[in-house]
Amino acid sequence: MSAENKPMRRRDELEALLPFYLNGTLSGADLEAVEDWLAADAEAMAALAEAEMEAAETSAANEAIRPPTDALARFNRALEREAGPAREASGNPFAALWRRLAGLPAGLAWATAALAIALVLYQAVYGGFGERGGYEIAGTEQDEAKRPFALVVFRADARMADIGAFLSANGAAIVAGPTAAGVFRVAVSAETGADFDRAVALLAAQSFVESVTPGRRPADAN
Amino acid sequence: MRHHARVYRFVVRQTGSETMADEIANEVFLEAWRQAGRFEGRSEVSTWLLGIARYKALSARRRRREEGIDEETAAAIPDDADSPEVAAMKEDKGAALRRCVDALAEEHRTVVDLAYYHGRAVAEIAVILSIPEATVKTRMFYARKKLGEALKAAGYDRGWP
Repeated sequence: MSAENKPMRRRDELEALLPFYLNGTLSGADLEAVEDWLAADAEAMAALAEAEMEAAETSAANEAIRPPTDALARFNRALEREAGPAREASGNPFAALWRRLAGLPAGLAWATAALAIALVLYQAVYGGFGERGGYEIAGTEQDEAKRPFALVVFRADARMADIGAFLSANGAAIVAGPTAAGVFRVAVSAETGADFDRAVALLAAQSFVESVTPGRRPADAN
Repeated sequence: MRHHARVYRFVVRQTGSETMADEIANEVFLEAWRQAGRFEGRSEVSTWLLGIARYKALSARRRRREEGIDEETAAAIPDDADSPEVAAMKEDKGAALRRCVDALAEEHRTVVDLAYYHGRAVAEIAVILSIPEATVKTRMFYARKKLGEALKAAGYDRGWP
């Protein structure tokens, strides 16, 4: 039996779970076991403090590694070499988004690159934005030209699942973007000015939204 | 930038080479583009990216072993005049701990990095490393045991193991 397959003592099992208790990913019986241990054993709190120190030093060691500043430019060149002309010819709705990455500041561009990948993946997983009706981006067939909209910047750590769920639940859709400043145009469902104000306020309240600027208001509000 | 930086750091820790990590981090995002249609949504995108990074880092390390060690890697190998334990005695506990984490075997340090720095769950680490969840826990146990022993040798007895 290899060392990795030997059964662990109870204390050893709990010590192995502490890092996952600290990073907030434990659940079920494992979480209950650690919480019981922390509540009942004075040594457990000392062990938790040691694990916290390990976490701090491990993070510091990782953060000390600085990625090269020109990584984005080289990534874009590689992407263009591989898929540039083919992408444009194929009518891929993400092509414009990818092309714009080259003009963005490095930090913003990487955030947008991650979002772009997430958009691609969202489409891959759920079978196309248009088919679901509630979530679309520029380049799809539906004409969004006359819908009221807001200009939205998503947070760099926004999760596509959260954005998609929110847009679908509220009849909203990404209809263009991002601009060079990372701004997306999000069409909202609103027939009156009051509807529009509520929709904008709701967008602004979401944890994955960095900022919202009201765009076109419904016709009755003009 | 956050996603790229995390992938880059993950690969640096895997390979010990910034040059290699730079190339691999870019390849990971290109690969994500190529494979987007095959992504099944069973894990978070960030977990999937780290899984690609892990595979590419292992491949690169294998190639490097076949081709011989490069100059950058040779320069990065620490002078072994001081063992991690002896070197740790010269530092405060935090610095000693960091040195001990860096000195862990790669398979142990990777689990520590993924849990503490990347915030991954047991199940996610199992996906990234393609190992059973029980093995993730066992590796974490041995990693923390080794850390405790190294710190004890450096004069910091944590009471466990």
